[in-house]
Amino acid sequence: MSTQFFENQEAARRETSRLVFLFGCAVVGIVGLLYGLALFLSNLQKTDAYGRVAAMPIEYWQPELLFQVVLATFAVVAGGSLYKTLQLRGGGAVVAESLGGQLIATDTNDPEARKVLNVVEEMAIASGTPTPPVYLLANEDGINAFAAGFTPSDAVIGITRGTIQRLNRDELQGVIAHEFSHILSGDMRLNIRLMGTIHGILLIGIIGYFLLRSSMFAGGRRGGRDNSGAAIVMAGFGLMIVGFMGTFFGNLIKASVSRQREFLADASAVQFTRNPDGIAGALKKIAGLDEGSILVSPSAPQASHLFFSKGLSGGLQSMFATHPPLAERIRRLDPSFDVSVLTSAGTSQTESAGAAGFAGTSGAGSHTGLPAAPSGPAIEQVGEPTAAHLEYAAQLLASLPSAVVTACHEPYGARAVLYALLINRDADARRRQLDQLENFGEAGIADETRRLLRDTERLDSHVRLPLVDIALPALRNLSQPQYAAFETNVQVLIEADKRIDLFEWTLQRILFTHLRPHFDRTASRVRRNLRLSKLTAECEVVLSVLARFGAAGDAAAQKSFDQGAGALPDLSLELLPKNRSGLTALDDALSRLARVESRVALQLLSACAAAVASDGFVSEAQGEMMRAIADTLGAPMPPLLPGQRLF
Amino acid sequence: MTALIVVVVVVVVVAMIVVGIYNRLVALKNRYENGFAQIEVQLKRRHDLIPSLVETVKGYMAHERETLEAVIDARNQAASGLSDAAGDPSNPDAMKKLGAAEGVLGGAMGRLLALSEAYPDLKASQNMQQLTEELTSTENKVSFARQAFNDAVTAYNTYRQSVPAVLFAATFGHATDASLLEFDSQAIAEPPKISFS
Repeated sequence: MSTQFFENQEAARRETSRLVFLFGCAVVGIVGLLYGLALFLSNLQKTDAYGRVAAMPIEYWQPELLFQVVLATFAVVAGGSLYKTLQLRGGGAVVAESLGGQLIATDTNDPEARKVLNVVEEMAIASGTPTPPVYLLANEDGINAFAAGFTPSDAVIGITRGTIQRLNRDELQGVIAHEFSHILSGDMRLNIRLMGTIHGILLIGIIGYFLLRSSMFAGGRRGGRDNSGAAIVMAGFGLMIVGFMGTFFGNLIKASVSRQREFLADASAVQFTRNPDGIAGALKKIAGLDEGSILVSPSAPQASHLFFSKGLSGGLQSMFATHPPLAERIRRLDPSFDVSVLTSAGTSQTESAGAAGFAGTSGAGSHTGLPAAPSGPAIEQVGEPTAAHLEYAAQLLASLPSAVVTACHEPYGARAVLYALLINRDADARRRQLDQLENFGEAGIADETRRLLRDTERLDSHVRLPLVDIALPALRNLSQPQYAAFETNVQVLIEADKRIDLFEWTLQRILFTHLRPHFDRTASRVRRNLRLSKLTAECEVVLSVLARFGAAGDAAAQKSFDQGAGALPDLSLELLPKNRSGLTALDDALSRLARVESRVALQLLSACAAAVASDGFVSEAQGEMMRAIADTLGAPMPPLLPGQRLF
Repeated sequence: MTALIVVVVVVVVVAMIVVGIYNRLVALKNRYENGFAQIEVQLKRRHDLIPSLVETVKGYMAHERETLEAVIDARNQAASGLSDAAGDPSNPDAMKKLGAAEGVLGGAMGRLLALSEAYPDLKASQNMQQLTEELTSTENKVSFARQAFNDAVTAYNTYRQSVPAVLFAATFGHATDASLLEFDSQAIAEPPKISFS
């Protein structure tokens, strides 16, 4: 189970390069075909005045023509795929809205919508990612759900009305866990790239189609029989064949990848929830339902690969299916299941089969089962929350004062909660902070903050960071100017006591890592292509800060640093002096480390863990710091469970 | 052949730009509609609180029936205005009506709260204190959500009116500006009548 997160991502990436290679072959093939077409056409035009084909041998090698064909093909394919990628890159929200999804308001009163949000929230806290916004497909009666978006920061989850109404909490949890697996293993990005390329190839066919049509109109008007007309018809026909064939094979490749990812997500869902009956039950209900998982939205075909289960009816079942057959998926989850039941049974029967495993549990609380198994080291669970984390998350949510949780669910209160978390205990600084809110905050925000302060001050320190995760979706609803004011206020509050403590630093880091890309569209996306060896100085800073932070004296710091550096044997690292290992230095270093290849990110994270754990004791503060570092490196780390080892 | 390539490339580039404009318009429109959903939640909460407030107040200030009725009336107006506007946040008439109704409601509430100052028992009642606290907080949330909504509407309108989007906006069904939600404050400007009976 260890470190599968990055291995999965790596596998996905290897899959991508294999596919890019395949697509490359396809494009070369397409160029070849088009070259042949061009040769044929240019030969066609060499007719004499009486329309007879000139008896000239065809010149097969025409470099200039080949060059033109290559250029045109690449321009079209690249243009088409760029367009599609740009369109999908707007983040998950765009996809969800095009499917007719409505954002579920984070402070909704609808009990069913509330239940979904709670399940999503638990899963987000358990996996250490920001809570994704949830979209409701209100007009869809089938059971289905999807995850969309480029990165965990802009991911959204969509869910149909039918899912909410027909599934119980365990099954819902299974479905949501499946979607989180897609988010965590980067499946969405892979899919978007594939769709882009296929769209580019499709464009060739579309151009051909338009050429054919326009020439038919033109031909009809003029009634002429000149050669250029015939050539255009031929060209159009040829382009159409090549384009549509290319699309056909591209879709085949895409579908086969997609099916593998579905199996993986099913398996991960079981791993996250440790309850195979949940997701298996959901699949069985789909099988027993007339509507099944079919969607009615006209945009559904474009997003079919995103869904929890097959979203379209009919079609070439096995070859083009983006999802493996239901029976096969259920069988892998529950080998004892009798597949023949599926064809005959209605919902009630399949439910009893599916519900057998948790018949004793009440509907509301699903976490009454076995006690959580002792977990392995936290570092190995990056991107892989377990049932123990889920249970921990549910307990944590239940233990929070309801006033604070409610406030986190709407944008006004969410800001007040974050302000309240940052309010100092020192009377002087506190007065300055509240003055700032009074003068520059929103109307009444200072009072709201004071009110929440009564609750937040009593909170255990380990629940403060999860509160940030819960508040994030509501904060996304701020308008641009509101966000700008919010960002300034947070910064002023942090600096009010003239020093940045670790919690403040971590909060700011997590908050802005996830919010800035949302509000600042011009900020370029992080490209992860730097090798660790190019970032020696940055690694030095990170390990030095961690070492100095946890250790009492120079000797202990050196020991801790050596432990960490030992995990990065390829680099020669030196412990930095105190004045160069502050949080500001760490901030700068992390901004650059965010661009490290994800393959080695875990190596760096292990080094950090080794440094922190050198004295055999991980304080809560160190745990928080680790979380912020992991977050920056794009490796969501589940919360530390009580008594859990970090490394 | 070269001419054909140039034409194809130009067509593809132009098409991409136009599609980009279309998508941006849709995204901005969705953003302000989401902004309205946020207001809706808070306004509904406010509308739900008012009947309980009136119920609480009734026992203490029975002579102020007119004021109470005015509040209930304004509340009902505002509630229906809200459901109209929620059906279609891009309709300027519905938005204007909602703004006016909320303005009237704000004025009536202001008068009621000013009147209640004259009843020390009422002010001391725990129920009343809780309700006023809730109402103030909801009021703040409404104004905050309204600000977010108006920002989103402004962003949409600005983009819609600027080149090159203005050339295509009407064709893509974005012919009219979305309207801001302003709560008409003329009713509030009226000084509250305080009767010393």
